[in-house]
Amino acid sequence: MDNIVEVRDLCVTFKTSEGSVYAVSNVNLDLAEGKTLALLGESGSGKSVTMKSLMRLHPPHKTQITGSIQVAGRDVLALGNRELSDMRGKDIAMVFQEPMLAFDPVFKVGDQIAEVVMRHEGCSYEAGRDRALEMMECVHIPSPRKRLDAYPHEMSGGMRQRAMIALALACRPTVLLADEPTTALDATVQIQVLLLLRELQREFGMSMIFVTHDVGVAIEVADEIAVMYGGRIVEQGPVDEVMTDPWHPYTQGLLGATVYPNMDPATRLVSIPGAPPQLYRQITECAFAPRCPHATDECHDPLPPPTQTDQRMARCIRLPEVAGALPRASV
Amino acid sequence: MTAFLQVEGLQKYFPIGKNFLGRPTQVVKAVEDVSFATERGKTLGIVGESGCGKSTTARLLMDLSPPDQGRITIDGQAYGKGAGRKPITALRKRMQMVFQDSYASLNARLTIEESIAFGPKINGASDREASTKARDLLDRVGLDPDNFIRRYPHELSGGQRQRVNIARALAIDPEIVILDEAVSALDKSVQAQVLNLLADLKAEFDLTYLFISHDLNVVQYVSDDVIVMYLGQVVESGPAQAMYSTPAHPYTAALLSALPALHPKDRKTRAPLEGDPPNPISPPSGCRFHPRCPFAEPMCAETVPLLADIGGGRHVACHMRVPGSGYPDVRPIVTVAPSPTA
Repeated sequence: MDNIVEVRDLCVTFKTSEGSVYAVSNVNLDLAEGKTLALLGESGSGKSVTMKSLMRLHPPHKTQITGSIQVAGRDVLALGNRELSDMRGKDIAMVFQEPMLAFDPVFKVGDQIAEVVMRHEGCSYEAGRDRALEMMECVHIPSPRKRLDAYPHEMSGGMRQRAMIALALACRPTVLLADEPTTALDATVQIQVLLLLRELQREFGMSMIFVTHDVGVAIEVADEIAVMYGGRIVEQGPVDEVMTDPWHPYTQGLLGATVYPNMDPATRLVSIPGAPPQLYRQITECAFAPRCPHATDECHDPLPPPTQTDQRMARCIRLPEVAGALPRASV
Repeated sequence: MTAFLQVEGLQKYFPIGKNFLGRPTQVVKAVEDVSFATERGKTLGIVGESGCGKSTTARLLMDLSPPDQGRITIDGQAYGKGAGRKPITALRKRMQMVFQDSYASLNARLTIEESIAFGPKINGASDREASTKARDLLDRVGLDPDNFIRRYPHELSGGQRQRVNIARALAIDPEIVILDEAVSALDKSVQAQVLNLLADLKAEFDLTYLFISHDLNVVQYVSDDVIVMYLGQVVESGPAQAMYSTPAHPYTAALLSALPALHPKDRKTRAPLEGDPPNPISPPSGCRFHPRCPFAEPMCAETVPLLADIGGGRHVACHMRVPGSGYPDVRPIVTVAPSPTA
């Protein structure tokens, strides 16, 4: 199977007034055609930074990106500005967490969708509006013809997110990046949008990378899951395997810390002591070691290469011993 | 017999827009006829989606915005404006609150010690007593006093700041603590720490919690009783375990069945509800849930259902469910199964 996205040894460093921030270190990702990969992690783990690198959305003069990124056969890091804007929205598109901020508030939603089509396909305004209408129908916006002339503030949160998806998919991208697209939505609306994304992915045959901090959301949409911590991917594999038999102590802790339905109130949550690391220095050892219940002295030495099987990967030197050490039996 | 904390008929309308006479043109019916009660040492969960009035309810209890109507009693003593009621400042000594935004709810120009000691000081403690109290509480919430006492809020992580907020809420020895989305902004690993801490503090100080959250799993885990709100009204209330295993109101059932799966084999195939919650400025007539309700009948649009007793300490406001809500020909509701569990 061909990989539509291949990321090798990606490092992203931001230059700030307080020094360098090593946001992403040595990330490798493969995304097969038609599959969904979830990047799961807490705030500051580097999941959104990784995503934005795929479209080169970081401010160029403050960001240093090394490694290689291939999207649909293009070497993203080698592209010039013109080629970048040819690629964005056409081969690869993004859905953001807050659609109110992603849309331009002073243009009609239908016109904003039409603009993308006109830019990439060189068609007329009328043809662009026709496509916009078609897309609004695709994402099940009620009375789509009327909504074409709505401004973003005239729509509800769930409808705006649907319109955002319509915008992202207007030029039939091969890769869709979704950055916490349901985090700002209510529970009953979140599930609607998740189901919509799954349906559209099947229909359009696209590949998807889905950033989330919510284990349940990742399980709903993903085939593969990559768990990030401290700017690194610490564990990766098929979602059902990683979620039922997590190898890395961080993944184990994350699942143990998540409240699940019908949990006995007398059960204490498995809490991970401490807080996620600051990334003001390059962390070469295991970033999770200071919080890890299994850590030994060697865990503070530089990380060896990951443990890899056909399908799964985890970065923990104590893997054989800790892999079965689930803090609780059921998920 | 009255309950330890009793809230009756709480109501708040926010006027918006003004005509040329300065009169409001529209009102947001944020909270309408909300009543509940809880016993000492229990946790009452309040769940609902954004705009359902759960946070407004909390703010009304603390008089952070004054309620239009309603009566709040603790141990039979009424508080607020009116004859025979103690002033709201007396209520605030018994009831404190922790907010969602840990940074915005601390004064950025006060050190951690000053923030925690503030309450005791204005309630008559000496500087030395207040300072000792602050150190004790920091220790209790798991922050080393020597290390943290002179720091400012911006020097702390989100989880640490929320611990400070909890310490501050406890500084004047309240009996009731309102936790308004207090763990929602925290990362999962930190959220678990704070939830464990809240459980410990509750046992140690014999606290009563009002736990407000949109996270149904967390509410089930921490609560003895739960009330479900929709567009400013209570649609269902009762013991948490019973409500979660057999939700009585179609909205409660939908909320539970909207929870993401815990295993890929249990993935959802259809959404329980269509559309977004309506705008509280012009809520639907009758039962406010009727336009989204799969069981709605014409009468649901006409008559407002009232909370009716269905036994076991449970109440539900639904015409299709309870004959007492005024609909004689009741058929059993096929409840949507709650999220499957492993």
